[in-house]
Amino acid sequence: MQIKNLAVRARLRFPWESVDLGIALARKHWGKLFIAWLIPAAPLLALCYWLFPESPVLSILLIWWLKPVFDRLPLFMISRALFGSPESVRTALKHFFSVNRRDWFLGLTLRRLSPTRSFDMPITVLEQSTGRARTSRIGVLHRKHSGAATWLTLTLFHIETFLLIALSMLVFLFIPEQYVEGIEWIPLLQGDILWVKWLYFSLYLLVMAAVAPFYIVSGFCLYIGRRIELEGWDIEIQFRDLLERQQREQESRRRHIPGATTLIFLCSLIFGALIPSPSASAAPVETPQQAQEHIDEILADEDFHQVREISGWRKKEKPETEAAKEKIPEWLINFIEWLFENSKDKAEAEIDDEVKWGSTIAKILELLLWIGLVCSLGYLLWRHHEKILQSLKWQSKPKKIQPAPETLFGLDVRQSSLPDDVCAEVMRLWVEGDKRASLGLLYRATLSHLIEDFEFYFGDHLTESECAQLVQVRQQEPNEVQRPVSPALSQFVQELTANWQQLAYAHRPPKEAQVSSLCSQWQEEFGNDR
Amino acid sequence: MLDTTYNVETPEGIDLRARAAGPVPRILAYAVDVFYRSLILTAVGFALLFAGIAGDGIWLVCAFLLEWFYPVFFEVLRGGQTPGKKAFGLMVVNDNLTPISWGASFVRNLLRFADFLPFAYATGIISMTLGRHFQRLGDLAAATLVVYREEERAPVALPDTTPLPPPQNLRQQDQQAVVSLLERHQDLSEARQQELANLLEPITRKKGSDALSYLRSVGSWLLGGRG
Repeated sequence: MQIKNLAVRARLRFPWESVDLGIALARKHWGKLFIAWLIPAAPLLALCYWLFPESPVLSILLIWWLKPVFDRLPLFMISRALFGSPESVRTALKHFFSVNRRDWFLGLTLRRLSPTRSFDMPITVLEQSTGRARTSRIGVLHRKHSGAATWLTLTLFHIETFLLIALSMLVFLFIPEQYVEGIEWIPLLQGDILWVKWLYFSLYLLVMAAVAPFYIVSGFCLYIGRRIELEGWDIEIQFRDLLERQQREQESRRRHIPGATTLIFLCSLIFGALIPSPSASAAPVETPQQAQEHIDEILADEDFHQVREISGWRKKEKPETEAAKEKIPEWLINFIEWLFENSKDKAEAEIDDEVKWGSTIAKILELLLWIGLVCSLGYLLWRHHEKILQSLKWQSKPKKIQPAPETLFGLDVRQSSLPDDVCAEVMRLWVEGDKRASLGLLYRATLSHLIEDFEFYFGDHLTESECAQLVQVRQQEPNEVQRPVSPALSQFVQELTANWQQLAYAHRPPKEAQVSSLCSQWQEEFGNDR
Repeated sequence: MLDTTYNVETPEGIDLRARAAGPVPRILAYAVDVFYRSLILTAVGFALLFAGIAGDGIWLVCAFLLEWFYPVFFEVLRGGQTPGKKAFGLMVVNDNLTPISWGASFVRNLLRFADFLPFAYATGIISMTLGRHFQRLGDLAAATLVVYREEERAPVALPDTTPLPPPQNLRQQDQQAVVSLLERHQDLSEARQQELANLLEPITRKKGSDALSYLRSVGSWLLGGRG
């Protein structure tokens, strides 16, 4: 046993940590240990099947009772592996009888049910101590670790059972549903069918073989942990390591040419003599700034930067406008479907008297949900009414009645703004010399009457002559909806417009006779209206 | 070197070390929790006996809440320790060794269902046994870890020594070994301690009890004692 070859880190461990280490170690060597356990055990079960096919329970009990015998070989193998000389299953099997020679009888009788079996086994198998020596040794080792060893045995025993049940459940889960109905469970569960029992116990053997390495190695690691604690293996390994390092350094120092070292020594002496100031030997003092730069330089080095490439799936971030697209959302459809389904259930539930209050609440909730649905539908309709109308080609007609403009060309065309007797007012203004106001009033009155009596629409964009043209168009092509225009009126409008344009823009007033003739025509056309 | 420690390096270059807890103590801790839970449920059951059918309903709700939220409550609000874990010195942490968050705790406890399949936590046990850091499926999904809580060690009584400066070239591990030799003076037999001290004879130039007392003096110096 060379402690320095130990394959696990030697440090002080709590008992539970030793058990964990055992699990990890067993995991590493599980295949070999499993085979080494199974190779003696499986043929024995086969032999039992051959000899006593009628008594499967006794056979498996025999196997179970002989566990300590099968456990010793894996323990031997793991002890070799732990100290750096692992053995193959084939060579280890040769040791099967030699490891079982010592104390086998006691192991199978008095100590078979010992709860600390795996913890004690290394003392028998590896230390090969028996009798009084073994008792005192166990006394020392047990002091702190017996609790963990006991719980280890109990836990792994239960794990064996659980795994067996789980395996059976797994088999059951894989039976197709249509066959499950046809299985008669009572004889199966009572164990009346012999081959099922044998199958079940073979499964149990496999589970035992699978769990055994963990049990053995965990117990062994508990033992090792206790010995590390008692004998300071960690200290020994560290001291040996230190010594080895020291020797290596000395060796490498010796390998240097001794002349060179003396030379260097001499040189340094001479330098030391030449340069008297003591600061020469020390490195130049850095200012904090320089130090910071130095630090930054070092931190910029590759050693302090790790580039890692991480790949994985994550959700894309969509812009919110896209998310808010006008669509009936999925959840609404689901919700409505759910609502319809539920309303059926509610009807059924009403029959039950006990849950009447429940159905009342459900009714209220249903009502609320319906209201919510109607509101949201209304909102959606209002929100998208234009699009809906467009899609249905229900283009609303442009409005017929537009408000009559109040002013045209800067003139007030409301009838209320006109004087009662337009013609008299026009003539009075004309005589007074205010020709512009006079003709303006006449034109204004004409437009006003055209708008209100004949329902002309003169937009803001029209010029005076365009208005006159509109009147002419109506006279030439009368439509049925609007009041027709007589040729005389049309003629009058043309004439007045021309005169007004002359006065307004060219400052050429018409003659007085012209004005009075226009007045009389106006009187003819509109004067009777009032 | 096989070990069960779990190491994390922080962005600041600090190595954090925890000791991952394996299946056996975790199963036992779970058993303790199950015991406490059934105790509570029994008490609640007796208290609700008078309540008839409604009592049954309340009891079932309690059972549901206890089953799923008892661990979450303790793990998040009680430093990662359910009463069972506390009994075994275990605690749950995120796998970067930060305290566990609500989300992670929910995930790891809801996924107990997956670990339970096909029966009696068989999947969980197998996953814990095979996983490098003894994580069950819930732990893997939530990126959590069950570790041993670092307990404060009680101060040890040290033998009377006059501190002496250590020889040169002692690395940190060497120093720790020397200190450990000093601290375990009661656990290790005197003969074994001298044997260990003799190993360093080429360095210390001493043998037997002299070597041991010299190493103890050095250990005392390393622990901060000055003569």
